[in-house]
Amino acid sequence: MTRLQRGNQFDMKPNNLEPDDARLGTLLRESRPSPSLPPRFQENVWRKIEKADAKSGTNWLDVFAGWLLRPRLAFAVAAVLVVTGLGLGWSNGEQRIRNEAQSRYLSAVAPNTLH
Amino acid sequence: MTTRSPINVVLALIVGLALFIGSYMVAQRICAKQMTNATDDLDWLRQEFRLGDAEMTRVRELHEGYMPKCAAMCKEIAAKKRELETALSGVTNVTLTAEQKLSELGALRSQCQTQMLRHFAEVSQAMPPEQGRRYLAEMQRLTLGFHEQIEQSMSHPVEHQHGEH
Repeated sequence: MTRLQRGNQFDMKPNNLEPDDARLGTLLRESRPSPSLPPRFQENVWRKIEKADAKSGTNWLDVFAGWLLRPRLAFAVAAVLVVTGLGLGWSNGEQRIRNEAQSRYLSAVAPNTLH
Repeated sequence: MTTRSPINVVLALIVGLALFIGSYMVAQRICAKQMTNATDDLDWLRQEFRLGDAEMTRVRELHEGYMPKCAAMCKEIAAKKRELETALSGVTNVTLTAEQKLSELGALRSQCQTQMLRHFAEVSQAMPPEQGRRYLAEMQRLTLGFHEQIEQSMSHPVEHQHGEH
């Protein structure tokens, strides 16, 4: 048996395991004592993960976005914007129409030849 | 939430801005459609001084009576201006003819202004007293104020120069 062939014989890849090797693996695992976990280990781990998530997500933009994008507030802001836009647009339109009408009247009764 | 927050905020701001601009433009357009009567020169009087139908009829009569006189005066002024231009063209000093044309033009302008102010007074009398006073003051400000502004702007530097001497 060559050295290479011997090397392949002891290859520990799972698909190369022979039944004896599998049994050996089980024996090895059983012989290694696994330490007992502290009480509420899993719960504490999840708590830590949640805390870390919360810490990384709490910047001013998130707070602002959360505040701004609340449906009730968003509708209220949209309504205020629409009403303000309508009011300002109407008032501006009225002023513009009035100015145009005034210019029309003035150019009829007081022509530029006087200026 | 963390990565989507800026996008959501920007989208919300864009939507808000679009709502504001959209409603502003819609209101402006509706207002223009409802109020504009581009063919009527007297529309401003009706709007600004809240004239009723009877008052508007009287004002319209006065206006229609005044317009031919105003047009005739404008023609005379335009003709006199042409005469003045002819008198001034090709000479390097102010000739006697040019001087005469200038004073004739001035007299015509003054006549035109007097006629115009008389018309304003008549129109103001066809309105309710308070509106009439407001109309007369406004028309005097708009038609004579222009000259006053020029005169004032020209008189200040002169006074300043005189003060230095």
